[in-house]
Amino acid sequence: MKKGYLCLVLHSHLPYVRHPEHDNFLEEDWLYEAITETYLPLLNVFEKLVEDKIDFRITMSMTPTLISMLCDPLLQERYLKHINSLIELSHKEIERTAWQPQFQRLAIMYLNNFCRAREIFEKYKRNIVTAFKNLQDMGKIEIVTCGATHGFFPLMDACKESVRAQIRVASGHYESVFGRKPRGIWLPECGYAPGHDEFLKEAGIRYFFTDTHGVLHGTPRPKYGVFAPVYCRGTGVACFGRDLESSKQVWSSVEGYPGDYNYREFYRDIGFDLEFDYIKPYIHPDGVRISTGVKYYRITGTSNEKEPYEPDWARERAADHAGNFMFNREKQVEYLYDLLQKKPIIVSPYDTELYGHWWYEGPMWLDFLFRKMAFDQDTIELITPSEYLAENPRNQVIIPSMSSWGWKGYNEMWLQGSNDWIYRHLHIASDRMTELVRSFPHADGMLKRALNQALRELLLAQSSDWAFIMGTGTHTSYAIRRTKDHLIRFTRLYEDVKSNVLDMEWLTDIEYKDNIFPELDYRAHQ
Amino acid sequence: MAVLRRVKDRIKKIIKEKKAAAAEPRRRRASRVTGGKKSAVKTEAAVKKVFIGTQEITVERAKFSYPGTMKVAKPMPQELPGAYGKDKMVLNVRDPWWLHSFWEVSMGTLERVKQALKDAFHSAKKTLRVYDVTNVNFNGRNANRYFDIDVHHDSTSWYIDTGGPDRSWCVDYGLKLSNGDFFTILRSNIVHTPSDGPSHITDEEWMIPDEMFGRLYGMGFGFGQSSPVGKAWQERMKQALFSGVLASPGITSAASPVKKRLPQDRKFWFVLDCELIVYGATEPDAAVTIQGRPIKLRPDGTFTLRFALPDGKQVIPCKAVSADQVEERIITPTVTRDTKREEKMLKEFTKGAV
Repeated sequence: MKKGYLCLVLHSHLPYVRHPEHDNFLEEDWLYEAITETYLPLLNVFEKLVEDKIDFRITMSMTPTLISMLCDPLLQERYLKHINSLIELSHKEIERTAWQPQFQRLAIMYLNNFCRAREIFEKYKRNIVTAFKNLQDMGKIEIVTCGATHGFFPLMDACKESVRAQIRVASGHYESVFGRKPRGIWLPECGYAPGHDEFLKEAGIRYFFTDTHGVLHGTPRPKYGVFAPVYCRGTGVACFGRDLESSKQVWSSVEGYPGDYNYREFYRDIGFDLEFDYIKPYIHPDGVRISTGVKYYRITGTSNEKEPYEPDWARERAADHAGNFMFNREKQVEYLYDLLQKKPIIVSPYDTELYGHWWYEGPMWLDFLFRKMAFDQDTIELITPSEYLAENPRNQVIIPSMSSWGWKGYNEMWLQGSNDWIYRHLHIASDRMTELVRSFPHADGMLKRALNQALRELLLAQSSDWAFIMGTGTHTSYAIRRTKDHLIRFTRLYEDVKSNVLDMEWLTDIEYKDNIFPELDYRAHQ
Repeated sequence: MAVLRRVKDRIKKIIKEKKAAAAEPRRRRASRVTGGKKSAVKTEAAVKKVFIGTQEITVERAKFSYPGTMKVAKPMPQELPGAYGKDKMVLNVRDPWWLHSFWEVSMGTLERVKQALKDAFHSAKKTLRVYDVTNVNFNGRNANRYFDIDVHHDSTSWYIDTGGPDRSWCVDYGLKLSNGDFFTILRSNIVHTPSDGPSHITDEEWMIPDEMFGRLYGMGFGFGQSSPVGKAWQERMKQALFSGVLASPGITSAASPVKKRLPQDRKFWFVLDCELIVYGATEPDAAVTIQGRPIKLRPDGTFTLRFALPDGKQVIPCKAVSADQVEERIITPTVTRDTKREEKMLKEFTKGAV
């Protein structure tokens, strides 16, 4: 008998990084690595499950920025170049390691991975969003939206028009891609402030997620803790709280599965290890060594001495860990079922790139988990939030608490000495955008283009990623530059519109550079 | 978790530095020579020089006139405005205990304040007045209580320790006169700090015994079924919640959520490996095998192979067969690698040696 539900959520996000003005741009690699190591392997897992007629459910957020990059022809072209170069490299590696069978078989494994990646990529005519859409249409995955550019809402509370714009633009974009309105949203960084559910309701969004304390510190006390969703007072939008126990098992650097000594070591990459002239064509053109994705070692232990990766051992461990995860969820669900006299829902959100990019065996672990859950147990049902709400429409009404899943649980990651200077400019730009919308409620032609571009620049400046990177204190120059560039472009657009002097050539140039959301309507910001 | 992303970040930082170094070698050198305060002047001079240089190009370009070149492109600034000339004060919540505020007073407003206060203006102290406006429809005079913070003369932002979770706050920026009066210049928006623990309010319809809630509360935070009940659970929860162990990794592509193990004690290391390059040439249409495996020749008949060379003996028979199958040549190099690794030596550190 089913005694409870498990809702796995994968949050998939990258900031919009696309530089047509440069042939080779380091930060664009974030996307290429994610495609090869995470998105294509996950698709591979999901498609095999469908093929084998194994029922599964998973909820995935796909941010509008990530979707826009995945759908962008320039980046698709560049990805193909990237994967072809990896295939070339792995051919060379197979030859080079002829006298080292322990490495040669890994080189062959990578060649197969990369060829498989290219095959899936081409099967979907370079647009893998289609593949996710198909899985959603089949009812296997539920895709939820996010803030248009992953702006951090709690720090936009004083300019609510921007929160509304982030949600409206995201929702419109989702509809254009998936052919229906989003039912749920992953609030960027899980950042919730009371009242923002109003904008979700406006956009027809029925549920969102918060971190554990978002629900547990809500008013009044939530009777079922995080093991049942609550409705927000006044709007009725449902809020699902994160379960930390299941999170810790996968996430935690101390107790988590990915640290197992048999798993692949992330930090040893031939981009760093091999002789310079040989590896040069596959690292950054400036000669700076970067990861290629070809990694030959297992974690081995705590020292820097590493042993070659043994795929069979890692596979065994992934199966064990999937079994262990399932066992723990069964125990958790049984206990909660007795305690609550009601089927609990365990909500386990993860960053998608944990699977594959960081934890190489992650997609395999998911595959084992889904297969085991289908055959080896009868206690837990995999479910999406929409399905849960349809089955369980009666829930407690509370006001969830302000919270995020960031460092320390609130807003400090995005509001500290290194990044607090941005809000002065962001808030002014927000005010100015609202002013523009009020001044020009029915613009058309070039004015409309300028106003639309102004909103694009504002949204891009609002990406929480920039503040986050500044907050980490390393490699901050790109994040600072992006924040400034978008705000400077916004400021000029504002001034040009106000003084009625529009520079067609310049506008066309920034439309080409910052081309996100071609269908966007500046009036979303009000 | 910040520690965890350093490896990739470090690489990127190196790139940036390299780029910067390549782009501005002269300017760097100049600032190194002059140092200190003068470098700012020098830098400014360098910027001016660049500007003049650009001007020269512009003037020279004007000689080769084409239609369209007459249009003067508006220069794009590289930096954001220092001020916007608008009165504005914003209050944001950082966490249950802290707020952050930033503000700007326009020149016009400042002048008006000066006029109004006359001499009193100069002896007045710039002050933030923080009002607790919980459950109050705030009109400036009906706060539950307030406290003042003296801020630096030229501050435009401040972190405020309220010590009060689950309360509403509003802040005025103003002047405290020598007679103790407070003169408001700007007023912020109102914010509400989140609670740092569970609510004391329970819902009649959804009543839950304290002990059971305590248990659920601990379980939500991942303490399992043995989760502490009573007072202990709140404390343990806070430790878990604010340690950041389970925080979002941000951009995972640029980072990794798991801790990078740091190298032991000293930051010194040494790795060495060997590769072997085997190369040669024959007639372009010949068939060549190395260790029995056929290899591809370049159009001019040359070839190069590269092998990772492990310890031990490698016998490498290389065979070329002419296109007409009539002639065969075999060359067999034998290569031995024997690596000795000596124990690491640590010399005593002497002062002044570094």
